Amino acid sequence: MDWSLFFDLTVSGLTLGSLYALIALGYSMVYGILKLLNFAHGDVYMIGAFIGWFALHGLGGPLKPDVGAWFAVLGMFLFAMLGCGVLGVAIERFAYRPLRNAPRIAPLISALGVSIFLQNSALLIFGAAFRDYNTFSLIGGKTYNYGNLYLSVPQLMTILGALGLMLALTLFVSRSRVGKAMRSVAIDREAASMMGIDVDRVISVTFFIGSALAGAAGVMFGLVFGQIYQFMGFIAGLKGFTAAVIGGIGSIPGAMIGGLVVGLAESYATGYLPQGSTFQNLYVFALLILVILLRPSGLFGRAVIQKA
Amino acid sequence: MAEDGTPDLPAPPDAANRPRIGVDEWVAQVEGRRARYRGLRGALLERFERLPLAARFALFLVPAAVFPLLTNQGNVFRYGLFTLVYALLALGLNVVVGFAGLLDLGYIAFFGVGAYMYGILASPQFNNHWQAEFAIPVVVLVTALIGLLVGLPSRRLVGDYLAIMTLFFGQAFVVFVNNANRINFPFFGHVDLTGGANGLPNIDPLNFFGYKLQTTNEQYYLLLILIAFVLVFLYLINQSRTGRAWRALREDPLAAELMSIPVNRLKLLAFVFGAAVAGLTGAIYGTIATAALPGDYDIGLLITIYAVMILGGFGSIMGIVLGAVIVSSVPELLRSPGNARPIFYGAILLTLIVKVRPWRRLAAILAGLVGFGFAVHAIAHAAYPRLVAGSAQGSDRFAHALNHWMLYPNNPGKIADVAYVVLVAGIVILPQLRPLLRTVLLVPLFYLVMFVWENLLLEQISGATRLILLGALLVALMNARPQGLFGKAYVEIV
Amino acid sequence: MRKLIVAVVLAAVSVVLATAAWGSTKAPQRLAAAGTSLVKCGSTRTIGFMVPATGPAASIGVQQVHWANFFVKTYNKSHKKKIRLKLEDTMLGAPTGTAEALKGAQALASDPSVLAVAGPAGSNEIIAVTKSLKSAGLAWISGSSTKTTLTTDGTRTGYMFRTVPPDAVQGTTASNYILHVLRYKRVYIIDDQEAYSTGLADTVQAKLKAAGVKVTRDGVSQQQSDFSSLIAKIPRNTQLVYIPWQLVPKGQAFGQQMKASGRGGIKLMGSDGLYDSAFASVGKNVYDTNFPLNPSSGIIASFRKSHSTGEYFGAPTYAAVQVAATAITKACAKGSTTRAKVRAAIQRTRIPASASLLGVALRFNHNGDLATLHKFGLYKSNGSQFLPIG
Repeated sequence: MDWSLFFDLTVSGLTLGSLYALIALGYSMVYGILKLLNFAHGDVYMIGAFIGWFALHGLGGPLKPDVGAWFAVLGMFLFAMLGCGVLGVAIERFAYRPLRNAPRIAPLISALGVSIFLQNSALLIFGAAFRDYNTFSLIGGKTYNYGNLYLSVPQLMTILGALGLMLALTLFVSRSRVGKAMRSVAIDREAASMMGIDVDRVISVTFFIGSALAGAAGVMFGLVFGQIYQFMGFIAGLKGFTAAVIGGIGSIPGAMIGGLVVGLAESYATGYLPQGSTFQNLYVFALLILVILLRPSGLFGRAVIQKA
Repeated sequence: MAEDGTPDLPAPPDAANRPRIGVDEWVAQVEGRRARYRGLRGALLERFERLPLAARFALFLVPAAVFPLLTNQGNVFRYGLFTLVYALLALGLNVVVGFAGLLDLGYIAFFGVGAYMYGILASPQFNNHWQAEFAIPVVVLVTALIGLLVGLPSRRLVGDYLAIMTLFFGQAFVVFVNNANRINFPFFGHVDLTGGANGLPNIDPLNFFGYKLQTTNEQYYLLLILIAFVLVFLYLINQSRTGRAWRALREDPLAAELMSIPVNRLKLLAFVFGAAVAGLTGAIYGTIATAALPGDYDIGLLITIYAVMILGGFGSIMGIVLGAVIVSSVPELLRSPGNARPIFYGAILLTLIVKVRPWRRLAAILAGLVGFGFAVHAIAHAAYPRLVAGSAQGSDRFAHALNHWMLYPNNPGKIADVAYVVLVAGIVILPQLRPLLRTVLLVPLFYLVMFVWENLLLEQISGATRLILLGALLVALMNARPQGLFGKAYVEIV
Repeated sequence: MRKLIVAVVLAAVSVVLATAAWGSTKAPQRLAAAGTSLVKCGSTRTIGFMVPATGPAASIGVQQVHWANFFVKTYNKSHKKKIRLKLEDTMLGAPTGTAEALKGAQALASDPSVLAVAGPAGSNEIIAVTKSLKSAGLAWISGSSTKTTLTTDGTRTGYMFRTVPPDAVQGTTASNYILHVLRYKRVYIIDDQEAYSTGLADTVQAKLKAAGVKVTRDGVSQQQSDFSSLIAKIPRNTQLVYIPWQLVPKGQAFGQQMKASGRGGIKLMGSDGLYDSAFASVGKNVYDTNFPLNPSSGIIASFRKSHSTGEYFGAPTYAAVQVAATAITKACAKGSTTRAKVRAAIQRTRIPASASLLGVALRFNHNGDLATLHKFGLYKSNGSQFLPIG
């Protein structure tokens, strides 16, 4: 057993998995409440990465930020999460809310439209060129090394940051009043509205939180991998949704575990399977099919009894 | 009265005496629950529907048959061939999505399978040079079989799960053909099935019994004849027991199952049918492009075909043909900025005329817009001359006129980007405002639209702009007419 | 009854279609004649220009547009008979594939004023447009497609020309350096899964393997920029990673992530697609190969005066337009010409080294490759830009 390879793969799998988990949470929460597949979610993540870049450059750029490097990073997260949250709410208000009682295919097409729109708007105003986060200049290229285990600062930050955000979300959903309302709307929208819960507001809050998490994931991606570009949301969104399905769509702990499973599976597949890096996506696809066939409701989901 | 104000259908006179138990009665009512058409378009559509079938087909086929005689080969290729390919693909997809209600996002992969399969059978890659009359049936059979395999899990999948799975399938197909040259297959060893990133070049022309279809016109008429057959076939199947069962399935799978309709078999049938049509189209497209290249069967084409189907209206056969004409020719016309400007301003004017009533309000808005433009231009000229230092693209009279009315910064770059973001935000916020404020703000908003168009969108007309307009169109269309331009609305039954 | 009606309709339609089809079969002869039909040259001559002006490869395409426009501007200043570029956007790498290139080629083919074509950029685009351009009798000169077999497989002889050396030349230059100068024994090759990259990677892999070097081959999608798990697979004792990629930022990101995983000591080598100071900035461990340029050429100096950045990717496109314009001028000596005559004139092009920015004379061999170019330039980074090493 080559432990060095195993550790390397595990670290990169955990990093990727944390990102996927954050994206999956947005999908899962929205699906839990609206039964809507939000295709545009991956692109919100992309916009988040760009907002982070602009925030960084607004704060003086990676070479000599106006504030301390860590404050700059904090600022990037803050702006990206806020911006994406607002974007998410706007998308819901404009593209999904009018369609809440339309045939089920209508909001899906609308979501597809939003996705195309966001992607090409990014192409139009940010240009086709890649943007460089230049993390090395910002927070140094330090790599921690324990025996065979190599960990870079952004990787550590991503794993811990994602963990923190997920903990906060879990607490919010289980403890706060709004969280309680979210859970009840997810169980039965009509009954919840009869109990005096403002369903529209709860849905807006859900979109805000989900999109903010995607924005944070976008910034983390930029910090770890350096380059961001306008098509990065498509594949990431696909993987995020896979994670949500594998974990059991609608379930919050499911999305987190699902994200880590997909990230690790992708990483190990790249490392150990034949032509792993080339066929990475095929292996993830196979995993998805396997889970859907064996446990259609995912690892943590409950089987749904279909109602008319 | 139903919710949207349309009158309920009058009960048939013998309603009381009719048998209440019947296999297809519920399904038959589905069509009856559609809303009536309204307005000018409604009058035209109703007239159209009352035409005998033969006339309806002729209305489409005769202009299509005459088209190549009127124009040069380049135009037949760019407008004609692509319209027909889109239409054929959309008709196949319509069976899956429009008839049976299964959201298949991996549809284009079947198109690709068809092209690659034909390339394997008739290109120098394996030195096979099959005649088309043998190759085409094999291609169709193989794609249908693959459709069956992909569709099998759909028995367990409801709605969105199927969507994501097929989307993944489409992506997996692209990855596969792009890299299949690296695979060592079990039993066969190394076989370069798809040529990898280089694709399969030099695909043979269609060769029916020794007669080679090589010119654009020959390919065009082949596709046209094929479409005629598919149209008739779809018409017949739509009227058949299977067609009614598909519609029942689309409306309510649970109820359909309770009516003892074999839901799973019907889903598979729709899936397989769609795949077969796509495969057939793919084989023909392969001979038109003379190559099967991995990038050609990606998400871009999928979106295009969905746009065709949605514009036309789910389930509406004739609408789809019209949708194909629009989707294939408008972007092609937009290619040159000379055409793009009249189309854009024409569309804006048309929207205003259709949407804004009464005409006095329309006139006020138009006058306001003209006045606003001159005012802004004058202020900018006096205070920020940098904003009017540039000039409009083109040198026709309209462009010269625009120079006195619209702002053209010397180097629009950042200003235009910011204006674009403000514009999008404005469009989102506007409907939330009070009516009076909305009307007042409409004028600067339209000015902003034109500013962004002139300074940002027009430059990228062949790239991002076309897709941005497409995305916006999809969202707007779903908001305004979820049933598509030519589809019929349902009367909501609660 | 209904079925009867449908059958009648079908029969009627078939008759209409058959008649129309019969009438139009005479059209092909018109098309076949396009290559030999006489065109008045006039005072402005049109060159079709197929380039990815928008889409994912726009950053490359825009450079080609700049260089081509630069040639037209300088040419028109000094000549009475002007030339004009008719631009068709091919959107290389866009999710719509080669369809845009195909439509663009058809638009050029059916425009009788177009006498020759500069471009297209990508090898797959050339495969897609071959039939369209060839049946219209048009010659095309590409400034960036390097797949070796495009010219050598014989299907485009006399129609296709290019002003860049093919993969075989660049691959040989790179592998010779690895074998004979660096003398490395453990090499890792990663392609980015499109035609340009796999072609080069194949060439280098074969040469190194034949010389007994331990070569590992891998691929990564162009859509990906998280390379961490791929990098984890690269053994730490690897001496060099060869990445013949198309997109500079990807190469840069790969280099940075190599460093982040503690593999900053391994040498990297790119290809002409990555020849950019951004890739050089990864560190002193970076090598690259690029098509030859004459650094002391006056053309390059005056281009740099009007364009601030040192973008050289479009330089061979300048040469391509130059060849087309020169050939058209020659073919138009009598005031009118045919596309076939222009093709022949391109084949006979003789532009001396002094007038070419590539540093060598421009003339083509029978296949359509430059007969004068046999080797690529080799470069090593000094930490911020590439310096020639022979």
